Order: sequence, then C-alpha cells, then structure tokens
Amino acid sequence: MKLDPAFIWTAFVQLLSVIPTTLLITAVSVLGGFLIGTGIALLRLYRVPVLSQIAAGYVTFIRGTPMITHLLLIYFGLPAIVDAVSESLGSSFRSVSIPYLAFALIAFTITASAYMSEVVRSGLLAVNRGQLEAAYSIGMTTPQALRRIVFPQALAASLPNLSNSLIGMLHGSTLAFTVSVVEIMAKAQIVASTNWKFFEAYLAAALIFWGLTVLIEQLASRIERRINVYNRGGVA
Amino acid sequence: MPGAKFDIAYVFDYFPKLLSTLGLTLTIVGWSILLGLGFGFLVALPRLYKVPILQRVSQVYVSFFRGTPILIQLFLIYYGLPELLKLVHADVTRTPVLVFVVLTYSLHAGAYLSEMIRAGVTAVDRGQVEAAYSVGMSGFQAFVRIVLPQAFAISLPVFANLVIATLKDTSLAFSLGVMEMTGKAQTLITLSQHFVETYIALAVIYFVISFALEKVFLLLERRLLKHDRRETDSGKRFGWRRAPSLRGLLAKTARAQEGRSRA
Repeated sequence: MKLDPAFIWTAFVQLLSVIPTTLLITAVSVLGGFLIGTGIALLRLYRVPVLSQIAAGYVTFIRGTPMITHLLLIYFGLPAIVDAVSESLGSSFRSVSIPYLAFALIAFTITASAYMSEVVRSGLLAVNRGQLEAAYSIGMTTPQALRRIVFPQALAASLPNLSNSLIGMLHGSTLAFTVSVVEIMAKAQIVASTNWKFFEAYLAAALIFWGLTVLIEQLASRIERRINVYNRGGVA
Repeated sequence: MPGAKFDIAYVFDYFPKLLSTLGLTLTIVGWSILLGLGFGFLVALPRLYKVPILQRVSQVYVSFFRGTPILIQLFLIYYGLPELLKLVHADVTRTPVLVFVVLTYSLHAGAYLSEMIRAGVTAVDRGQVEAAYSVGMSGFQAFVRIVLPQAFAISLPVFANLVIATLKDTSLAFSLGVMEMTGKAQTLITLSQHFVETYIALAVIYFVISFALEKVFLLLERRLLKHDRRETDSGKRFGWRRAPSLRGLLAKTARAQEGRSRA
C-alpha cells in the first residue's frame, strides 16, 4: 500500500461535514462545564459547609479518573436511573429514546465542570483582594463587586487556562466515537472502512484537529491582548 | 437498560481481576514518560539554544503533538509507521502493538515535556548560570549541576500533572487492542454484561493511583524546595510575599457577616 494523497483530500472533504458535531460537543461541554464549574468554585471559595467538601471531593474524583470512564459510566448507568425514575413516576418515557449524543454531552459536561472549577477558582484567587476592598469601600454589595470588579479581572487572568481547557475538550470529544456518536474520529473510521485507507483518513482528521487547535490558540491570544488592554502602561 | 442487573458484589469481585493488568498500564506510563523525557530534551534544547533550522522543526513537532487528540495519534502511528518503515525495507508486521502504543504516548508526552523543560530552564535565575561560570564551570557543567536541578524542582508540579495525565490517557490504548486495565474491563464486560459495576471498579482504581501519585509528587516537591522555603520563612528574601488572596478576604467577610447576624 502506498500513500494516497488524493484520498487524504477526499477524506478531508468528507470529514468537514461532521465538524459541527465535534464543535457542538466541545461548545456544550465547555459552556456547561464553565457554568457548573463557577458554581463549584464559589462554593469552595466561600467555604460553604458540607457543600464545599462535597465539591472538593467531586473535583478530585473527576480529575483523578479518565474521561472515558465518565462517558462509559454515564452511557451505561444513566439509562437505568432514567428508566427507574420514569417508571416510578408512571411516565411512558424510556431511556431508549435518548439520543447517543446526549450521553456524550452530559458526560463531557461533567468532566469539563471539574476542570473548569479549578480554572475559575485560580482565576478568582489571582484577583488582588484590594480590588474587592475598594469595591466595598465605594458601597458596592458583594454580588455587585463580584460581577463588576472581580469576575472581569478573573476572566482575564484565567483566559490562558480557559483556552487550554477548550482545546482539551476539543481533543476529548474524539472519545464520543465509543458511544456511536459520529464526530470527526468516527467519521474517519467510516470513510476509511470502504477502502481500508485508515492512515490517510486519520491524517486528514489530524490535520483538521491541528487546524482547529491553532485557530483556537490564535483567537485566545487575540482576546487576551484585547482583554488586558486596561493593564497596559502606567507605572505598575 | 443494557446488560445485567446492578449488583454491587461485582465491583469488589472485579477489583483483583482489573488489578492484574495494572502492571501493564504502569509499564506503558513508565516507558512513555522515560522515553518522553528523552524526546522532550531533544526537542527543547534546539529551542533553548536557538539552533536555526532545528528550532523550527521542534516547534512544528510540539505544535502537532499538542494540537491533535492522542486518540488520533495512536491510530496515525499504528497505521502509518509500518508504511513509513516499509520504504526503508524494515518489516515491523510482527512488532507487538504495545511498542506502537508506547511510542505514541512518549511522542505525545515528549511534546508536553519539552515545553515543561523549556519553561523550567528559563525560570532559573540568569545569575545562577553567571555565578557558575564565575567559579569556572564549563557550559555543560553549569547546565547539569546548577540549572537542571533547579529547573527540575520548579517544573515538578507540571511533571506530576503530566504523569497523571499520561496514566489517564493509557485508558485509550484498548482501542488498538492492548490488554491494559480498560481493555481488561471491556473483556470482563463481554463475559458478564455487568457494565456499570466494571466501570465503577475501573474508575476507582484509576482514582486511587492518581491520588497516590499526586501525594507522592507533593512530598517530593516539598523535599526539593526545602532550600527555597527556609529562606522565605526567615524573611530574608525581599519582596517575595504571598499575594493577598481573594479567598482570605471572602472568608473574612463571611465570618464578619456571620458574627453580625449572630449579634
């Protein structure tokens, strides 16, 4: 077998059609993870009794296990729970009607939420406490101070981590092929299964992921420059 | 629900069965990190010493291996390398899959490790090298005796993260048919159909190992940074104070409000 450059192009074009699926998985898991992660981070920062310990345990456990175990546990465990609940409620809803994609989205959101909570926590901790004190001193309430003063600065501080997490989740989305979601990885296998040219297909997939990653990196550095404008000049 | 009815006894039943393949998982991790350190150094040095063309090559290498998912790299090397080696008339059809897996993980880890090495070496104070030169060390001596130990201590947290990440990444080796822990879990499932129990046991094992690794690295870090801490404890160093943290302030205001509401 010789390398077939023409097939790389064919595979590349066919893979383009499933990029939206990959991006959807990435976007949903990162956004959902960011929201839940912010909640977890606030629970831990404010040291809410009981809840903050649970949150810490959750984060440690999720970060200590591979992403694929979360996906498989959700995929095989959740239907039983859903069926049991809907049966006890007398509803006719059954887990069979849940699309595969939903399992991937739920599992990856759980994964992302643990990593994101650490990103958000470190970002919030990076904000100088004088900022909060100053906000209080001019009469802001805590929610106001958090929303107007702390969060924007924390976002700027955690932007590099955020883009790293985004890239991590983009790469993690390839795992969705194990639960029959057709994203780039699965599509590459499908495309290659017709003529056994796996190497060419995976090369095309790798090129797409590489391109997406570089794009995200470029965007992140643009946004970072823009968002840190306030920090420019002066004496500090 | 697919598979058999949930039975917690299977979780305990499967622990020893899964643990029997723990050795293979750790072998993959160990070799990958070891070889990855080699690749990492090879790739980091041209960029540290700004070697003209090689610098560019290592940049592309790092960008590629950090810019594509490990799963795709696994398949790419598994399918691509034999073809590539056929060009130089080397037959690798009888090579075990494990070799390809370890090679992929070490190339992947090598990209991250090279960035770690680069960051660690740049983080060492420039005066350290100058001081080493001033007592008559050669460039090599200064690098090995002065820069490297310090760089290692600085980059240990990153290294720990990387080892743990590699451990978790090895769970993907089953997709090429390697019988490590996740692969073993898959075979146990095909036998018994106890999906959830098996994956719970699997997750717990991964968790315990990564937790233990984290603690070990934390101890090592404390040991390696001993010289640094003593200095800061006695307050000799100027201007190295912990940045005032939001957490402390939040906790304090929370306490104050609590006290107020009680009064």
